[in-house]
Amino acid sequence: MSFSGKSRRQFLRNLGCVACGGTAAALLPQLRMLGTALASTSVASTYQALVCVYLYGGNDAWNMLVPFDNTRYNTYAASRSGVYDPVNNPGGLGLALPTGSQVALQKIVDGNDSNSATNQYFLHPSMPEMTSLFNQGHLAFVVNAGSLVRPITMSDYNSSSANYPSQLFSHADQTNQWQQAYAMEASTLGWGGQCGDALSAGNSYKTLSPCISVAGANRFEVGVSTIPYQISSGGLTNLAGVCNPTPCSGVSSSSVRDNALNTLLAETYANDFAGNYSSTFQLGRELFNVLSPGLAGITLNTAFPAGNSLGAQLQIVAKMIKLSMAQNYATRQIYFVNLGSFDLHSGMMTGNNDHAALLTTLSQALNAFWTCMGPGDVDAQSNVTLFTMSEFARTLQSNGSGSDHGWGTVQMALGGAVRGGKLYSNGGGPITGFPNQALNAPNNFPRGQMIPGIGVEQYAATLAQWMGITSPTDLATIFPNLGQFGTNNLGFV
Amino acid sequence: MQTCVKTMLCVLALCFAPLADATVHDQLFRGSFDIPADQPASTAAAARFLTQATFGPTQGDVAYLMAQGYGEWIAEQLAKPATLGEPTIEAIANARTTGGQSVTNTIRLNRFFWQAVYAPDQLRQRMAYELSQIFVVSDQASDIGNNYMVPLSQYQDMLAKSAFLPYAQLLLNVTDHPMMGRYLNAFRNVKATFVGGVQTTSPDENYAREVMQLFSIGLIMRNPDFSPVIQNGTTVPTYDQNVITQTAKVFTGFTWSDAPTNPPTFNGGGLTFAAQYAPMACWGTELFPASSNQMRHDISVKTVLGDGGASTTSSIAANQTCAQDVTDELAIIATHPNVAPFISRQLIQRFVESNPSSAYIARITIVFNTPGNDLGDVIAAILTDPEAENPPPLCGSANCDSYGKLREPVLRLTELWRAFNAQAPAPDQYGQIAMIGGGGFLGSFGQAPLESPTVFNFYLPDYQQPGVFADNGLYSPELQITNESTTYSTADTYYGFTAKAYQGMASPPTDRPLIDLSSLTANANNPAAMVTTLDADLFYGGMSAAMQSTLTGMLTNLSGASAQEKAWSAIYVAMLSPEFATQR
Repeated sequence: MSFSGKSRRQFLRNLGCVACGGTAAALLPQLRMLGTALASTSVASTYQALVCVYLYGGNDAWNMLVPFDNTRYNTYAASRSGVYDPVNNPGGLGLALPTGSQVALQKIVDGNDSNSATNQYFLHPSMPEMTSLFNQGHLAFVVNAGSLVRPITMSDYNSSSANYPSQLFSHADQTNQWQQAYAMEASTLGWGGQCGDALSAGNSYKTLSPCISVAGANRFEVGVSTIPYQISSGGLTNLAGVCNPTPCSGVSSSSVRDNALNTLLAETYANDFAGNYSSTFQLGRELFNVLSPGLAGITLNTAFPAGNSLGAQLQIVAKMIKLSMAQNYATRQIYFVNLGSFDLHSGMMTGNNDHAALLTTLSQALNAFWTCMGPGDVDAQSNVTLFTMSEFARTLQSNGSGSDHGWGTVQMALGGAVRGGKLYSNGGGPITGFPNQALNAPNNFPRGQMIPGIGVEQYAATLAQWMGITSPTDLATIFPNLGQFGTNNLGFV
Repeated sequence: MQTCVKTMLCVLALCFAPLADATVHDQLFRGSFDIPADQPASTAAAARFLTQATFGPTQGDVAYLMAQGYGEWIAEQLAKPATLGEPTIEAIANARTTGGQSVTNTIRLNRFFWQAVYAPDQLRQRMAYELSQIFVVSDQASDIGNNYMVPLSQYQDMLAKSAFLPYAQLLLNVTDHPMMGRYLNAFRNVKATFVGGVQTTSPDENYAREVMQLFSIGLIMRNPDFSPVIQNGTTVPTYDQNVITQTAKVFTGFTWSDAPTNPPTFNGGGLTFAAQYAPMACWGTELFPASSNQMRHDISVKTVLGDGGASTTSSIAANQTCAQDVTDELAIIATHPNVAPFISRQLIQRFVESNPSSAYIARITIVFNTPGNDLGDVIAAILTDPEAENPPPLCGSANCDSYGKLREPVLRLTELWRAFNAQAPAPDQYGQIAMIGGGGFLGSFGQAPLESPTVFNFYLPDYQQPGVFADNGLYSPELQITNESTTYSTADTYYGFTAKAYQGMASPPTDRPLIDLSSLTANANNPAAMVTTLDADLFYGGMSAAMQSTLTGMLTNLSGASAQEKAWSAIYVAMLSPEFATQR
């Protein structure tokens, strides 16, 4: 059964039921609609939240986590066109091996590997806070993850284009594949939004979406019935010239304008654009009435770093979490924040917004959020798991001043529930472990782009299971390709 | 431009042979034969057309279009020279620098909006603005920022000057521009380096990828109506990673036009504004022998994009000059069959509707691909297509209609200014005319000219808002920046340009234009008449009866307010309305 856009619309209208997903979903499986089975997923009533930190542009993760032992470090440095030196090797991308007091600020040991020849790594010198959190056991790294249609090796890659996702190395497509946790085709649905579909039944204040974005529209938080609520990092501000909250109690020019605006927003619109605009605006007004006074009453004890755009986003997330827990709005929430400018084709090692500056921003923001979730403040460290996504790592080999698009990458998970202090690099497929970083090693490409050993859906499904989505049916619905992979839970949380 | 006029007339529904030279016709018959054959059916139709084609209708432009007819109006607009921003911006920057004042992108944005509201070459300016959303460069990149504000403003001028040229010429001008070079890293991109026979670096792939993915052909093969080509049940990629790596070699060797060659200083130059916007020099064999280590262009053979047909790749010969390599590469790209549907569909989305029919795209593809035609012919065909001119009748129930598009927040503001004869402040002591008030618009609107957060523009042409759009396979680009937060921040910005910025108010601001409320205050005691004026000025007569009733009631209930408050209240609430947010 196949529907063009128009006939599908007609079909839905004939059902008399455009808004209610359940009935239509059962009849239109190709829409990847979920129906009611997921909506009834029941979870423990203890509050839990996921916070997705998306690093747009492709974080050069091979400079975030680097082998420390001489053998692997030398391979790394050679592949990165040598250690960066502003005078003698300005094109090199390699980080210097930490020495002296820097060792304590950068060095980590993989708790999943008892072999001292292979378990030593160092983090980028801009991330001492992450070194500390890793060593305290709150931070984990998931190594060489990326979008896959199934676990493969280089020979599989070379044998058929059906063995790997389409449009590899394209920002937009790899971003979608990470946010969908599905690389077989483009979908309008993200895995966070579909988790929201499944989990929203347990939330008591249903006007507030289980998915909240502080970083604008994103595919990650879109589900069948879930559309993210979008809030700015500055919080909520009044709507000028009308009533805040709406309506006003007395009669004034503002109340007259307010009534007129609300009447216009409440009209039924034949046109999709007008209808979507009005419903979005209306929802914003309804939520403003509730959240604005609530957020005004929330104070945080933790100071977030100034001039840190990610910190500002995580600060409003922390307030929303505190408010949601205090008011019992929800038992499950999924947040989305971002940090951009990782597409460092040039100026990666030097300049105002180089990789070091970005990782400083990242590390300080995450550290403040962790502190804020601590017992002296929001007190929800074990209830909240923060994790990163980024579309790809980058070429190990330099292009002269930066790196180009790669594939498999490294992500971070942070939280009291995280089994930290460890690297997770075994997804049960043919490629495991921290990759051999020699250019043209068996499972990487000539410029050091890695074939992933872990599929995005394995990473995502691990987090979804922590949120309470454990039934095989639900997991298979949200992650249709999960069955292709060796394990559906990487165990890091 | 003759070609433009000819083609444009041929796509007009009402064209006929004796009008082929419309200019002569008008000069001969003006006064005795006033009504052009392709006169808009009504002033409302004229205002609607001008909403699509300009930064907003004015009463003067509506009258002029009624007198000229579509064909003559478009022909005149295509012929108008570009109003330029850079000379003024450079003078302001120099004066401010001399005066010890900061130089930031506020200067550029003020000038952009001044041109949008007051420049006579409206269609060219609008085209340049929409092209800037396809061929994206941005001051949000640290490689541009405030430091290159002046040459960035010349990029906008380049788009205006190139707006009606053949596509291939536009693509060359974009590729050669140092701001594009800095934005997508062709600037100072160099050939592979080797140490002891081992390759240690490769050319930067950024421009090679995006020039194909975003500026020309996209990721998958397309039919002339933009539908994907399907082979063996699946889409067909236009290129693979190997083609990207190879194409990256083409875009090597670029630097500032004034980088000294004697002695050679590849990283030098860029010493004047003129040098910062002149087409980049390329240090290929045209400047240095291949054996010289100053020769930065990669002269090896390149296996690049195919012809989109039988040949999946083609070859650029070794040992060519840089200029020849770039010419060859851009010719391969520009003649690829995807270009016409890929670019035409986006232009339709920017000017007319988010979801053009396949037939509409196919009609524009034919115009695009007609030998001798240029982008002037393309935009004329887009604006005079029956699907642009004749919206389907509005149906009666919720979500039964997907025609049109959401108006860009930037355009809603310019439409306000043009509809209500906004009067800009006098130039300040540095020659700057303030337009944008205290802050930029990127935060509040989610968009501002040449300020995209990424090369993917403020919204994607393929963005599908969850719900009715996604469920029906429909696209809604501008909804990507429309959310609970931006509806508020956009409204608050409009408040500052209506309630807080009108002529005759006490203590008016000096950092933005003042709108003229007189057409509304003249009928301050006649709410219905005020609404009729508003309907004509902002809604081209399309305001629904329900909305008219709501606004009439609001004005009646504001009986105690001043005439000015009634007027700005009507405008402000109308600007927030779902009907004004939509261009249909």
